[in-house]
Amino acid sequence: MPPTNDQRGRLIALEGTRATDLRRAMERTRPRRHPLRAAGGVSWWDASGTFYEMWLGKRRHLTPSPRTLLLLYASDLSFRLRWEIQPALAAGRTVVAAPYLESAIAFGRASGLSRRWLAELFRFAPQPDLCYRVKEGKKSSGWKGKPTDGFAEFCSAVLSETAPSFNSVDLRAAMMALLDASERRRACRRLAS
Amino acid sequence: MTRQPARARKPSLSKEVLDLLHKREATRGLLIAFEGPDGAGKTTQRKLFRRWLEGQGHTVTTTKWASSPLVRPLIKARKRARALGAEELCLLQAADFRHRLEQDVLPALWRGRTVLADQYLFTGLSRDAARGLDFDWMLHVYGPLFWPDIVFYFPISLDIAAQRVASKRSPKYYEAGQDVTNVADPLSSFRQFQARVMREYENLALVFQFLTIDGEQPIYEQHKRIRKLFLEGSRRVWGEWNAEALAEWLTLGVGRQEVKHASHE
Repeated sequence: MPPTNDQRGRLIALEGTRATDLRRAMERTRPRRHPLRAAGGVSWWDASGTFYEMWLGKRRHLTPSPRTLLLLYASDLSFRLRWEIQPALAAGRTVVAAPYLESAIAFGRASGLSRRWLAELFRFAPQPDLCYRVKEGKKSSGWKGKPTDGFAEFCSAVLSETAPSFNSVDLRAAMMALLDASERRRACRRLAS
Repeated sequence: MTRQPARARKPSLSKEVLDLLHKREATRGLLIAFEGPDGAGKTTQRKLFRRWLEGQGHTVTTTKWASSPLVRPLIKARKRARALGAEELCLLQAADFRHRLEQDVLPALWRGRTVLADQYLFTGLSRDAARGLDFDWMLHVYGPLFWPDIVFYFPISLDIAAQRVASKRSPKYYEAGQDVTNVADPLSSFRQFQARVMREYENLALVFQFLTIDGEQPIYEQHKRIRKLFLEGSRRVWGEWNAEALAEWLTLGVGRQEVKHASHE
């Protein structure tokens, strides 16, 4: 029997610029926030293996632009929705998605892409029930993690090799400012430490 | 060439970029797309036309659908596993398209080479629309659009398409649209799916004013018509049609290098 609206699960988005912070927050969020729904799932970046495969297999062709990277992120998100998020929600479970929409949109805006294009690109993804902004560590630096750790780390590694004027510290600062703005307009809440 | 479809919205661009595009207009290459359903004979005509163009002194680059070394292996592996949803397939193909546009097509055009696209974005639009995706969303996904100078369209009947494809091999799972038709027999599914694709192509041909080549005519007759239409044709002025896509490319690594390279020539 399909679940009724009351039984439908909840989608919680965690947004931030560093995979380390997102992972830490995800571990905390899952059991603590929803103890009655401890069986809930998580949906982590690159569940489809798209970015991992690209990094492993075709480094010499790894010259995508920010727009191409976002198209690939959207395809991975479509995979996550189809195989992880929607089945769990339909079964009445809570799913924590890290990252979800806001981080990718912040990356796109910080790279100079239009708000309208980004909104249209992610139109297929349902809005989360709750969106949390994770606490950012090492705010004044770029990304130090491995490219396969997270979306922003991957983009930083790729763009630093291909775009002559790319500066990871500036990009991360711009992404953080955009996530701050989404917090101010209450699209995301600050996740308590 | 042709009457032109409604003009693309002209974005507000810096004078510097518009000047650069204006200066390049005279020496840039032409982008010519070959579109039509599977089995229409696009590749045969593209090869013949390439030879003829080279004989006329053009330097020619060819780009094929879903062929970028970055994304092709991903699409291939996922197709083999039959693991792709309609949206995911559309987005991967759009990523492939964007990557080829930025890395291969635009640099070649900028250097004055003629680019032949064996299937262009209209292939993605017609197939994805046949899979039930929203047309407006797809146009955004492929945006900012880069319009070819000429689109040759090869309509054929469903029977001929099925006959030509089946004479070589059984249609593949996604080619036959089995992901959306749920029909077990590949050829029956191909017929169902291609009927939808052809309907979408007909709409696109009307809206975007493709140059139609009857794909059921003898091969040489088609080739002669392509030559004739090409010689009568005119280009789409970059500054009016493709300014937004080019402005973005010019700010990227590859585009910048091209401009630098050109200024040293």
